[in-house]
Amino acid sequence: MLSIKKLHFAYSNSPAVLSNINLNFSTGNIYGLFGKNGEGKSTLLKLMAGLLFPMTGSCNLHGEPTKKRQPHILKDVFLVPEDFELPSLRIGQFEKINSSFYPSFSKTQFYDLLEEFGLSPSNTISKLSFGQKKKVLIAFGIATNTPLLLMDEPTNGLDIPSKSQFRKVMASAVDQGKCIVISTHQVRDLHSLINHVVILDDSKVCMDLPLETISENLWFGMTPKKNLEDVIYTESTLGGRAILARGERDETEIDLELLFNGVIEAGVKITESINSETHA
Amino acid sequence: MHKGFSFNRVYKLIKRDLVLLRGALTTSVLVAVVLLFLFSIFNMIWDQQLSTSEFFGIFGIFYIPLGLLFTFALFREFNDSKKNHMYLILPVSIPERLFAKWLTSTLIYTFVFSVIAVLVGMFAMIVGIIVFGADFTPISLVSVSYWDLLKTYFLVQPVFLVGAITFKRNRVGKTILSLGVLVLCFALLHFILYALFNYSLGVFETDGLGSVAFDKAGSDFSSLGKWFYVILLGPVMLAVAYFKMTEKEV
Repeated sequence: MLSIKKLHFAYSNSPAVLSNINLNFSTGNIYGLFGKNGEGKSTLLKLMAGLLFPMTGSCNLHGEPTKKRQPHILKDVFLVPEDFELPSLRIGQFEKINSSFYPSFSKTQFYDLLEEFGLSPSNTISKLSFGQKKKVLIAFGIATNTPLLLMDEPTNGLDIPSKSQFRKVMASAVDQGKCIVISTHQVRDLHSLINHVVILDDSKVCMDLPLETISENLWFGMTPKKNLEDVIYTESTLGGRAILARGERDETEIDLELLFNGVIEAGVKITESINSETHA
Repeated sequence: MHKGFSFNRVYKLIKRDLVLLRGALTTSVLVAVVLLFLFSIFNMIWDQQLSTSEFFGIFGIFYIPLGLLFTFALFREFNDSKKNHMYLILPVSIPERLFAKWLTSTLIYTFVFSVIAVLVGMFAMIVGIIVFGADFTPISLVSVSYWDLLKTYFLVQPVFLVGAITFKRNRVGKTILSLGVLVLCFALLHFILYALFNYSLGVFETDGLGSVAFDKAGSDFSSLGKWFYVILLGPVMLAVAYFKMTEKEV
């Protein structure tokens, strides 16, 4: 659906933010895009939406470059940015002036989601908190029903109940015709929501795998007292959590935070372990 | 979705812009209406009449500056890094975006403001007739002074449109400054051209440079110069605006 090839990007007078990025995003998946602060997650999403232009390489949606901002391409993309301002209108007016541009927009879905988030169409956007504004934009983004939905730190600014509400809403929004990419550095917020992990580090992609492959090859749990040579990565905090090659062990739930830290600290060992397990 | 130029999308964009700027537009037009009315009334105090040229003189004081400010307001969202993602990601092509902005800030603005201004002028005249016994002079939009104002606005507006797209902060000031520098450069160019073409005619040895030059000139290039500026200020500036919009990143 969306393919990125040999993409390179840098802001003016700054070192490269993204270098030689190759990624493919397909429908029916929710991608978790992880990375430390300043690793280019937001930049990558903006490039995918055609809001920034690659210096070299390409970013194509349905085979056409997103940077050309053609209407027939843009109708299939929506981005919920991390930091934004919405006009001082009532939510209902905001929907009316923007929804008509998106052919698959569902008003019913939008107003149902607003209700779910505890908002009313008569609320004036400027009087809402940042978290509530984010909910308006998330609801709008989902209701556009664009095949590609990009969300940059969607849980930032949301309170704890709203985060679980967000997970619930996202889980109901996904279908086989959609590809959702969620960028965050709060990996726990996407627990049980995503089915594919992309990790950026040092301007490059250091992991791009479906969760299925990860759980088939890695084991997450407490650091074992013996056979320490099986440990790929371990954290001393919280009683010592570790990543091990799964081997004959039972399947475990993926600890996204541990995986992220592991990939950042011991990315090569983890990749080698997955490759060797896959080939075995 | 329609791949070519779509008037339906242009219409939606215009509607969107007008809704977004509804508050600012209403306030500005109301202020202009009140001032237009007062200026018209003051004009009638002295000679108990409001001629068409007098009315359009007052109209011009508001029509051009308000139109240029409206042009800047239309591009406020475009240059606001926290708001422009919503606009730039809309499935609309660049020619449609530019056409919508241009149409709103020229034809639609001119039509709406002219109609309102004529109504205000007529009302002021009725008040003038009742209060001062002023003469009745119908205000007509087919007057030469009105069309001259329109021509000036339509030529100057694209320059301000480019300024509104190009500059992120202090947009009005920077555009006026750029325009001032441009005018100075062209004035210098004109002087150089004048000197080059008229030196041999000996006009510099006499006092009245311009009149002598016109009398002695063998060819008249003024219509060529007029077209040069019309093309430079109109289509060329719109082309520059198109490329600026194409290159725009968040």
